[in-house]
Amino acid sequence: MFKILKEKLSKLTKSLAEKLEKPKIVEREEVVEREIKEEGIVKKVAKKVVKKIVERKLSEEDLESILREVEVDLIDADVAYDVVKKIKSDLKASLVGKEVKRGKEREVVISSLKKTLLDILAVPEIDLEEIIEKAKEAKGYATFIFFGINGVGKSLNLTKVGYYLKNKGYRVLLAAGDTFRPCGIEQLEKYAEKIGVPIIKGRRGEDACSIIFDSRKSAEARGYDVILADTSGRMHVEKGLMDELAKIVRVNKPDLKILVLDGISGSDVVPQFEFFNKTVGIDAILFSKMDINEKGGNVFSVCYLFKKPILFLGVGQDYTDLVEYKPEKFVNSLLE
Amino acid sequence: MVLDTLGKGLSGIIRRLITGVSIDKKAVEEILSDLKKVLLESDVELKLTEDLVKKIRKKCLEEKIPAGLTLREHVLKVIYEELVRVLGEKPGSLLGKKRIMFVGLFGTGKTTSVIKLARYLQRQGLKPAIAGLDYHRPAAVEQLIQLSKQIHAPVYWNENNDPYEGAKVALERFRNYDTIIFDTAGRDALDKELADELRRLAEIIKPDEVLLTIPADIGKVAGPQGSEFNKLVEITGVIVTRLDGTAKGGGALTSCATTGAKVKFIGIGEKLEDFEEYNPERFVSRLLGLGDLQTLLEKAKESEIKPEKVEKVIEGKLTLQDFYEQLKAMQKMGPLQQIASMIPGFGTLKLPQELLEKQEEKMKKFAVIIQSMTKEERENPEIINASRIKRCARGSGTKEAEVRELLAQYNQMKKLLKSMGGIKGLQRGKLKDLAKSLGFGF
Repeated sequence: MFKILKEKLSKLTKSLAEKLEKPKIVEREEVVEREIKEEGIVKKVAKKVVKKIVERKLSEEDLESILREVEVDLIDADVAYDVVKKIKSDLKASLVGKEVKRGKEREVVISSLKKTLLDILAVPEIDLEEIIEKAKEAKGYATFIFFGINGVGKSLNLTKVGYYLKNKGYRVLLAAGDTFRPCGIEQLEKYAEKIGVPIIKGRRGEDACSIIFDSRKSAEARGYDVILADTSGRMHVEKGLMDELAKIVRVNKPDLKILVLDGISGSDVVPQFEFFNKTVGIDAILFSKMDINEKGGNVFSVCYLFKKPILFLGVGQDYTDLVEYKPEKFVNSLLE
Repeated sequence: MVLDTLGKGLSGIIRRLITGVSIDKKAVEEILSDLKKVLLESDVELKLTEDLVKKIRKKCLEEKIPAGLTLREHVLKVIYEELVRVLGEKPGSLLGKKRIMFVGLFGTGKTTSVIKLARYLQRQGLKPAIAGLDYHRPAAVEQLIQLSKQIHAPVYWNENNDPYEGAKVALERFRNYDTIIFDTAGRDALDKELADELRRLAEIIKPDEVLLTIPADIGKVAGPQGSEFNKLVEITGVIVTRLDGTAKGGGALTSCATTGAKVKFIGIGEKLEDFEEYNPERFVSRLLGLGDLQTLLEKAKESEIKPEKVEKVIEGKLTLQDFYEQLKAMQKMGPLQQIASMIPGFGTLKLPQELLEKQEEKMKKFAVIIQSMTKEERENPEIINASRIKRCARGSGTKEAEVRELLAQYNQMKKLLKSMGGIKGLQRGKLKDLAKSLGFGF
């Protein structure tokens, strides 16, 4: 994960630290008073002396040249331009003119970079168990609905979340809401069988909204804790299809609306989020295919621009390939 | 937000290039440095971007400008041509390509594209057959079967879930078909196990054509993934999928450059018909955020040749014929939203989507109404009276009120242009540019 982004960041810290390590010799004029004995009288004579002083500071120009290089590097790692601008201005604020002790250069650079990155990547946390407990108290079960464009990995990651919750001791029910794609239902059915949870399904072409509604009735009657509802992938610009999602949400009042974003997508994650958020109001994001996301800048953009909780990162094809998003850990691993 | 990024994007640069008052070398340098940033932001890889910009700079500033072109048009032409060069010209026919193999990452639209391609081939009068070799994703084969039923194409899959055996049997069973299309499992090209499977499959199939599916929204992963796939099997063509969203498709550009393969088809929707042969003009225009660059290019060229038309418009001598041509030109240029963003001063204005859609609808009607007018009426709209309005409405299948609305809008536009022409201090050149960007530059 993020191999390339890591390389770019380590290049940045290295060049910054090197710049700091190379002390600059600054000439400074000082006035020195000397006492001179002249014909028995002590005179004070002031004399200008040019002293050479070693400075270990970064000037704005020093930083500018490094950052210009880094800017292109980061953009090439899918980091959005706005985010790059923020990293640059933060680094400038924390590094320009700061005295740095010998041997501490790397440390200083890394700690300010870390602060910047954490600032960008920090998002509100989300407690799945709390949400489930709360919903259970109110109506007996919780409903989570998954959204996303075609092919981002909604069904697989929904299954992973199901497996995760099942292992936590919850009774999970899947709802096969992808009634459009040929075999969307069959695919989820196979997944459900593999992780050993029940599924509510209809026929292909049936109304997804009513299938999710049925699953709620079933959860109520049979005492399930969480419903994980799939939806058909759709392009976020298709107004009619997006309206259908709005209806699903209106009717089923989910406790959590999860947007699945593709780890391999580039700058398009931004409009995707905006369109879905406008239509259904997204509560949390799940990033899929992160195991092949070597650049990872799209995570930066989404975190920084929208500050929505990141539910999980999908990191493989197995049901257990799901990791929790911990900004602190994430940043540490990036700066290793 | 989307509008903002669009404004910042390439279309902004191109717009500046088209509407800017004067273009000199310094302005070209500025445009090139912006071009670099925008390409990077549209998911084009760094190295490719740098190469492209370097080449464009060289051609723009060092080559002699062809006769009859201004520097402005020359720059526009070079940018456009270089982008088209990377993406490829119009693709050659797939006729006679017997074995077509699909590869790609998971969730990029392989299976859908397999069926769409089969459908496309059927329409060309060919008999395609399909082999399903994706045994990793649950229900992948079932999906393929369901879809192929829709288009009545035969499909084979291996009951033992053995892709190698499946490939061999399919080759044997379908040997009398014109084309066999092989669907393979989606994979990360860096995954060793799947990479081996793909290499072995290619050895068995010996494909005439290997098509890589790339979603339009892919980021800079496109480069490394594309080159990894290319190492495993030689990619001969790219299919760009999910082009019906907001993505600009810069990743596709990168994939083409790293694999050396050209775009062959684009997927533009969920229906099986939403599949088009790749058209460089349209694709690059999309990448640049413009409706139809070709029209604009032609417009830019022709506007220099026929200045008298622009003059005429400025002086308020606007006939309904001009109005009609303007409507047509605007329709050709694409959605109103984009045209609006090209008009100086309107670029940052956010017009409500519904209003624009309504206006587009209206423009279509106006064009039809004008078509049902006589030549005389078009040249001298003053003669249009109640009975002529009645005839026009009947002739074009519209309401009389709509004909009146058209006349009112035409008069308004005429008045506006006339009054602007009279404003002292307003540069004539600028007004010309405005008139041009309104679509009067034909």
